[in-house]
Amino acid sequence: MKDIIRFQDISKIYGSGNTEVRALSHVNLTVQEGEYCSIMGPSGSGKSTAMNIIGCLDRPTSGRYELDGTDVAQLSDADLAIIRNRKIGFVFQQFHLLAQLSALENVMLPMVYASLPQRERQERAAEALTKVGLGNRMNNRPNQLSGGQQQRVAIARAIVNQPVLLLADEPTGALDSHTTQEVMSIFAELNATGITVVMVTHEPEVARLTQRVVWFRDGEVMHDHMAPEDLGQLTVVT
Amino acid sequence: MVDFAESTKMAVKTLAANRLRSALTMLGIIIGNASVITMVGVGEGAREYAAGQFESLGPNVLFIIPGSPASQNRTLERPRALTFEDSEAIATQVPTVDSVAPQLVTQQTVVAGNLNTNSTITGVTPEFTTVRSFEVDAGRFITDEDVERGTRVVVLGPDLADSLFPSESPIGQTLRIRNVSFEVIGVLEAKGAFLGDNQDDIAYTPLTTLSSQITGNTSPYGLEISFISVMARDEQSMTAAQFQIQNLLRLRHRIVDEDSFTVRNQKDALELIGNVTGALTVMLAAIAGISLLVGGIGIMNIMLVSVRERTQEIGLRKAIGASEQDILTQFMIEATILAALGGAVGTLAGSGGIMLVSALTPLAAGVSTTAVIVAVCVSGGIGLFFGVVPARQAAKLDPIVALRSA
Repeated sequence: MKDIIRFQDISKIYGSGNTEVRALSHVNLTVQEGEYCSIMGPSGSGKSTAMNIIGCLDRPTSGRYELDGTDVAQLSDADLAIIRNRKIGFVFQQFHLLAQLSALENVMLPMVYASLPQRERQERAAEALTKVGLGNRMNNRPNQLSGGQQQRVAIARAIVNQPVLLLADEPTGALDSHTTQEVMSIFAELNATGITVVMVTHEPEVARLTQRVVWFRDGEVMHDHMAPEDLGQLTVVT
Repeated sequence: MVDFAESTKMAVKTLAANRLRSALTMLGIIIGNASVITMVGVGEGAREYAAGQFESLGPNVLFIIPGSPASQNRTLERPRALTFEDSEAIATQVPTVDSVAPQLVTQQTVVAGNLNTNSTITGVTPEFTTVRSFEVDAGRFITDEDVERGTRVVVLGPDLADSLFPSESPIGQTLRIRNVSFEVIGVLEAKGAFLGDNQDDIAYTPLTTLSSQITGNTSPYGLEISFISVMARDEQSMTAAQFQIQNLLRLRHRIVDEDSFTVRNQKDALELIGNVTGALTVMLAAIAGISLLVGGIGIMNIMLVSVRERTQEIGLRKAIGASEQDILTQFMIEATILAALGGAVGTLAGSGGIMLVSALTPLAAGVSTTAVIVAVCVSGGIGLFFGVVPARQAAKLDPIVALRSA
């Protein structure tokens, strides 16, 4: 099994002097190919910072981060953009679909930045939408779709460039319990096909559906590979 | 990196999605461009109109008027008059001159039957038609014999002929000027107005007749006239003719210091008018250019608002792999399209304005190709220039912050 994410002694410090905030402190974390992992923790625990660094949207202050074998800590902004485009698929709580584009066009967007030919874009976008069960809604605008459907479009967009890592930030935060189940089953299906999935969530029932829970607290990994029964107790603490 | 065509497609899509806003943003540029095109077009039209007017005076014409160049328009002192003899001297002694037409001008009431009108009467010699490019429509013009014998004949401009003899042919009819009766011997072809002055309601009589029978002007030096029109041999001899006439008249009038007359070249007048209208055009174009600049600032304004409004979109684009360069390009293209499209629409509107001006006024205003090219290029440039600030702001957005702003 190869490592998709490897954090070695990662720290992230915001500000300096008296106003210094240590968001991450000497974190070591490894996620292997094919894992289905959730990151939890109270607000201010550093889970969002970890998420941003994993997603190459932010750089660590110190430490070494290898994504799929590449040391990304020292890459330029332009190179990071390419890494985000090719290796990572993002899913957000607020979906972030572009309102003026159809479902199909939204899914095609990452391939625009990958400079793929128009025909291939269309074929692959249609394929990805079919995979998330929206083969019949391809020409709908986001405002013509339900929340669950919009999140499925966003997932299709995230996987269309065949990333090594699917990174979801509170993907069910804006959904009701029924659609949460729907979306989680899609993540499970995608994971079953071999895609590595990492999601940040604050819902224990969502985390319970994943295979591994990483618990952050005060900028450090407090627990890793927690048993589902411990999860219940910890959420009470927060 | 996304290729240019792709960025353009995205920009067009965004602009089309906000049609009203895009249209309003372009408005400033549209108005700016329309005014540049119209102003320059009308300015050119005015210049051509003035040029055409001077052409209509006749080719290679010089005018000799009494009074020194320095005293023109600023003295009440009566300058020494020009005389018929002066004009004859010019005709016989200046080699670069083709023909000379002395003119005596007066305002008189003209009566024909029970109709009367106040009109300009000009005393002329046969050379008048040659020098000033007039054509006879019916009958004949004044001859040398008429001038020698002082016959009481008159040639009418077409408008005057129509108002005095509305229902019959004027040829052979009699009219009275200051109780002196004249026989109408001809009618001229229509010539049109010169700088707003109708040239077609003038009556022409032999110079000698007008002087002896009507005005009675005499001067110690001979038969006084109002001014002399001279046609030079050709365009090249204009300057020489001007110089020779000046010398001859100085000799004849025994002038040692300041000239008592002015030789006017129609080219000078043309140049003056060209300078005036040119300056006017530049000024109008500058004002219009300022409105173009304001339009550009309007684009920058709206683009800045748009960047703020589309923060999440920009954040998402960056998260899924857009580089700073991609975002920069997209916003620059949006601004440029707005400006260039506004430029094109403004050009059309300006051309419409010019057509309106041509239809409603005698100015033959034309759409200046240079103005169109300059206006559209300048608009595009303005879009690029004023697009930089918002586009840079968009490109520099931190995707984490951008995505979290809700």
